Amino acid sequence: MAGILIGFVIGIPWLGAVALWLTRDRNSSLQHALAVGFSVAAGIASLALIPFASARTVIDLPMGRYFGNLTFTADGLAVTLTAIACVVGSLAVIFSVDYMHGEAQLGRFYAFVLLFIGAMTGLLLSGNLLFMFFFWEITALCSYALISFYNDDPKAVAGGIKALIMTQVGGVGLLAGALITYAALGSYQVADLLAQAGTMPANLLTLAAFGFLLAAAAKSAQFPFHTWLPDAMEAPTPISALIHAATMVNAGVYLLARFYPAFEQVPGWKMAVTAVGLVSALITAFMALTATDLKRALAYSTVSQLGYMVYAIGVGGVFASQFHLLSHAVFKALLFLAAGAVIHATGTREMARMGALGKQMPFVRNVFILGALALAGLPILNGFWSKELILEAGLSAGPQWAYDGMLLGAGMTAFYTLRMTWLVFFGTARETFHVHDAGRAMKVSLGLLAAGTLTTWLLAGPMSETLHGTLPFHSIHSLSLFGLAEEIFTAPATYLALMVVAVGLVIFWMVRHQATTWRENSQKSGAGNWMTILSRESFGFDWLNRQVAGRTVQFASVLQKTQTGILSWNVVGILSAFLAILLYLVWSVK
Amino acid sequence: MTLTILNAVLFSVVLLLAVGFYGLLITRNLIKIVVVLQTLVKAAIMALVLAGNTSGNPGLGQSAAATVLVADTVVAVVALALAVQVRRRAGTLDIARISTLRG
Repeated sequence: MAGILIGFVIGIPWLGAVALWLTRDRNSSLQHALAVGFSVAAGIASLALIPFASARTVIDLPMGRYFGNLTFTADGLAVTLTAIACVVGSLAVIFSVDYMHGEAQLGRFYAFVLLFIGAMTGLLLSGNLLFMFFFWEITALCSYALISFYNDDPKAVAGGIKALIMTQVGGVGLLAGALITYAALGSYQVADLLAQAGTMPANLLTLAAFGFLLAAAAKSAQFPFHTWLPDAMEAPTPISALIHAATMVNAGVYLLARFYPAFEQVPGWKMAVTAVGLVSALITAFMALTATDLKRALAYSTVSQLGYMVYAIGVGGVFASQFHLLSHAVFKALLFLAAGAVIHATGTREMARMGALGKQMPFVRNVFILGALALAGLPILNGFWSKELILEAGLSAGPQWAYDGMLLGAGMTAFYTLRMTWLVFFGTARETFHVHDAGRAMKVSLGLLAAGTLTTWLLAGPMSETLHGTLPFHSIHSLSLFGLAEEIFTAPATYLALMVVAVGLVIFWMVRHQATTWRENSQKSGAGNWMTILSRESFGFDWLNRQVAGRTVQFASVLQKTQTGILSWNVVGILSAFLAILLYLVWSVK
Repeated sequence: MTLTILNAVLFSVVLLLAVGFYGLLITRNLIKIVVVLQTLVKAAIMALVLAGNTSGNPGLGQSAAATVLVADTVVAVVALALAVQVRRRAGTLDIARISTLRG
């Protein structure tokens, strides 16, 4: 049964992708209907898969000597994330019915969304490192294609290329890790790596561990790759919600969590993971303080929250990180989709032009506030529980300086969250828009995500139970909901964190009238100035990332010259290779 | 080098290869390219038979050769059909002129 369901969650979206590709943009309502149908079916299949979570391999197909068996394992970690991917995926598709209404080339849009959902579930469920890498690359390709969906906009194309190149750097890390594992253990199976990591030579294990960390950092837009995600915001907003907030960027965190037991003992690895998470969380929170583009501000906060998850893994809190991943996927998808409704209504992403939209869009305002409160970490929303769990894990097992940094990050999160909400929905109207509240399809997905933001923390018990029961190599304690509540409310750290959050909120409240004029201030000299410049340049890392992307494109265009398309030149190439091989053979016989 | 039957076959393989590559380098007509490719494949088939014989496994070489023969016929038929279509649509069989057509 589990095997059939795994086939469904990967097969249904891919079948849908083919079907939508074939519709050829003749009938847009058929395309909307097909996309919603296929994605909702995948969502239902993914939810039905949850009760079948187990540690054993469900599907095992021999693929020949060099690839190992293609295996799928539906353990607790995989089914939870699969459910997130498919359910948030279907909600994003439902949202798109309104958001993409009247756009051209819907077939291309939906086909890539569905291809992405299938690839993401394949990546999560795959028990074979090499096939995990294949799925990983397909998600990167879909991400690229959807960022550049408006392919007549140079910014969108550049953002897509940058995201593709940056995630490829990570792909190299993953491939290297997989090949090293094969070299050392003779197997690509994830289960073998987890079981026999101790028998691998220490230097190879270290290489694999840092290769996976590189892959995770690039995919999850962590330091020093954190600049591709804000540039990816040129994508249509449902894509930002699905791929760049709720699913694909989580793949890095998933990778670290999956292989934590294997690499835990590698000297320096946990510290490196902690440091990457801390640095990412802090610098992007800082950049979110001054961002004036609504989607970029949300993207910075996504990197920052992913930093929290990476940090949690670095200090050994695997469950805390996955729990925050669940909370974050729900409330950040909600925030992005609500932002999408605002952008759809106003036609701009610039917060400096918005303001006082709350009265005209009460529904969107209410759900956005709900998501914002969860992001800031206020009780009793889901973000509160998971963030407190992370901070607690950090306090008990991690270094003190890292904990202090994360606490500061929580305060900054509260500050920029309130700032976003204030600039968009409250204050004075800086421009008049003739806006309408969200449409029906938008309200369905926003409403469901808002309900999720209020309730997913109730799943802490069953989720920890499943992870505890199905991950034999991880040591995850099962934690009842009551136990969680007790643990969090009796810890003094919780109140400290809440105080920091409150301080962040209060500081913004005091400067709220200056927030709207920061843009003008930044043109003159003053406090806003250096902060804006520093943020815009990502502390100089934007330059570095641009260089890497630019050089790769340059190199590619040099290589392009070898593709002349002229037959005679190709024959010359074939002949010279042939002669070279012949000469080598003659030489070696002598 | 004495002219045994093996050497004779080897010599013809090399000759066919040389003719094929030379033709590929200078030809611009699509039909002629198909013919030249056929020459190259015939060299490969002969080489397979020869290799089967010298490695003491003539059956394997011959069956591989027969397989290539079948596949290669299909390729030739499809290539010629494509050439006909190209002639109809582009009005020419000159590959240098076809490759400058865009869109």
